[in-house]
Amino acid sequence: MHIAVRELIRRPGRFVVVGGALTLLVLLLLFLGALLDGLFLNSSGAIRAQDTDAIVFSDDARESFLRSTIDAPTRAEVEAVDGVESTGGLGLSLLGVDIPDSDDIENAAVIGYERATDSLPEPPAPGETYADRDLDDLGADVGDTVLVGPAEVPLEIVGWVDDANYLLQYGLWVEPGTWREVQNANRPDAVVADDEFQVLTVSVADGADPEVVRAHIDGATGTTDSLSQNEAVFAIPGISEQNSTFAAVIGVTLFVVGLVVALFFALLTLERLGLYAVLKAVGARTRTIVFGVIVQSVAVALGAFVVGGVLTFGLAQVVPAAVPVQFETGRAMFTAGAVVVTSVLGALVSLRRIIRIDPASALGSGV
Amino acid sequence: MLLALREILRAKIRFGLLTGAVGLLVFLILFQQGLLGGLVTNFIGAIDNQNSPVLVFNDQARSNVEGSFLTPDQVDAVADVDGVAESGPIGEDTYTVDAGDDLQDAVLFGYELDGLGEPLTLSDGRLPEGPNEGVASSADADKGFAVGDTVTIVGAGDTDGPRIEIVGTGDNLRFSVAPTVFVSYETFEAAKRAVNPDARVVLPSLVAVEPADGVSTDELTDRIDAEVPGTEALTRQEAVDQSPGVQGVNQSFGIILLLAFLVVALVVGFFFLILTVQKAKALTLLRAVGAPSRYLVRNLLVQIGLVLGAGIAIGFALVALVGSVSTGDVAVDLDVRTAVFTVIGLAVISLLGGLASIRRVLKIDPLRATLDSGREI
Repeated sequence: MHIAVRELIRRPGRFVVVGGALTLLVLLLLFLGALLDGLFLNSSGAIRAQDTDAIVFSDDARESFLRSTIDAPTRAEVEAVDGVESTGGLGLSLLGVDIPDSDDIENAAVIGYERATDSLPEPPAPGETYADRDLDDLGADVGDTVLVGPAEVPLEIVGWVDDANYLLQYGLWVEPGTWREVQNANRPDAVVADDEFQVLTVSVADGADPEVVRAHIDGATGTTDSLSQNEAVFAIPGISEQNSTFAAVIGVTLFVVGLVVALFFALLTLERLGLYAVLKAVGARTRTIVFGVIVQSVAVALGAFVVGGVLTFGLAQVVPAAVPVQFETGRAMFTAGAVVVTSVLGALVSLRRIIRIDPASALGSGV
Repeated sequence: MLLALREILRAKIRFGLLTGAVGLLVFLILFQQGLLGGLVTNFIGAIDNQNSPVLVFNDQARSNVEGSFLTPDQVDAVADVDGVAESGPIGEDTYTVDAGDDLQDAVLFGYELDGLGEPLTLSDGRLPEGPNEGVASSADADKGFAVGDTVTIVGAGDTDGPRIEIVGTGDNLRFSVAPTVFVSYETFEAAKRAVNPDARVVLPSLVAVEPADGVSTDELTDRIDAEVPGTEALTRQEAVDQSPGVQGVNQSFGIILLLAFLVVALVVGFFFLILTVQKAKALTLLRAVGAPSRYLVRNLLVQIGLVLGAGIAIGFALVALVGSVSTGDVAVDLDVRTAVFTVIGLAVISLLGGLASIRRVLKIDPLRATLDSGREI
């Protein structure tokens, strides 16, 4: 067995310090990542739930669902554009929802839709709703009737959908007529007409270039602004800024990981200079010693990731509901990889010191 | 020269790495606090910096201004509650506007001129005195919201809505991270009708209320909640604290900051502990030749202080750098009080981290120097 591994097994205490610091940093990284994913996914679920090549807004809405209006004549113009295969209407109302057996009013996004997708079934009957499964955690159940908005429009939950929230508000998916009823009863200052939607989702014909079709739609109507699904997600207010800010904070934290590992492996190397000199004197090659340091840094990083992961999961169980953390496998894998790579890079800061060790110094140092 | 300084100069990489790590952690802590301050101010500055001490929401709105509206009956009922000295409607909505030769999002707050809901932080110009005049958030002056600029509401079908002349600007008046303009309630109503000609009625989002003499804001909010069905009255501070997202943002950042402080304490504490253990032999010899414990502790404290001081300087320099190059809508808003408390907190937590090392130094027995090794401290 390699000497570095033996040291890890026999003297784990030596690595507790750097492991402890790394564990806290992993906890910080995973929590930041979970927060970013929770904010992003819970804000954009309703848009990502669509199977669409374009989302068409009215051009005066500046890519805002709530201010966009697509009337029937505009929809007809869109459907007449070459390359458009089919369209579906979407409308959103942000309102409070009263759940049976819950003391608090919760925030809901009542979303009227026409087309089933991979994650959304065909629209339910009037007065019924498919609710985001997160409402299950608040005590709602299939068969319950929730009351929406000040007008207390009743909606019966007839099933669950996953990952279908909007702007951190619980998604309640209804057929278009029910959405208009909810909107007009609760917002008399912002009524929607029959056949009117806020945006259209568009599927393009086989072989058609979605980007070209989007341009043709806007050219044909003169009053629309067509975005790809991804563009519509990042048009949600604050999403881009949120992502870039969190990415910067996560990046700086990773840099701190590298510095901390470099610092503690520098201290460990200093402590073991005499031992390294003896190893070199008895024939160990520099690369063998460096490989050992790398093995130890990887082991410490992975150990810290496992313990930090468990702690993060524990922390997530006790954080208030207002903190929207969500754990994603991809984020965890990225964090593990980044911590390992940064740790190795940090440990290699001691490389110069190890290379410079003179085997002859073993005679003088006497360890 | 103090022993502490000589040691630092001879071990530049070790202390450099520690200082770098502490500096980046201090930067993270300060940056996130600045970001938190900036976010909160940009999200609800308009509520925080208007003059109404009590705001009445629709109880279904969950303290969300954008989701709240009140019927005429509710507005009248609030005015009739015993203890209300003055009340008035406040309207809020987001519009597409033509400002600075560009289409932009802007929030309008409509209030009764010279009444409640008036902005408190006027920094340039004057308050509106009639229709189609407005006070804008000063942060957006260079986006076409400066005094003398005209902002046009884009109505339904790209028609022109009210043209609002900016007659003043005020600090920290943004709402939902968008340019915000305070106008007369009539102007707000006109804007609302311009974008939604089919609207059956324009309803206020909130009712602003001032308590009568001798009535506290808490008493009045309780009375309104009890007497006016379907409403939730909040003090201005409650309205700020309970705004959607603010609570979540505060709690999220609180956890992140706590973790960052813990990392600082752990890194600083363990670094000096390892260093102390590694120097055990030399420290024992120093004690044996007459160096008092307090001299060694002082050296340790000087090193902690220097590392922390340099780390804090790096942290502040990085925050200043990031603040100056930031082009986003949310500025890093680090106020002096927060910065001072952070520095004090870091000093305390670093000293706590160094306590184990100090304890080890105080336990050094000079007699050990006569043994083969002084490592047994």
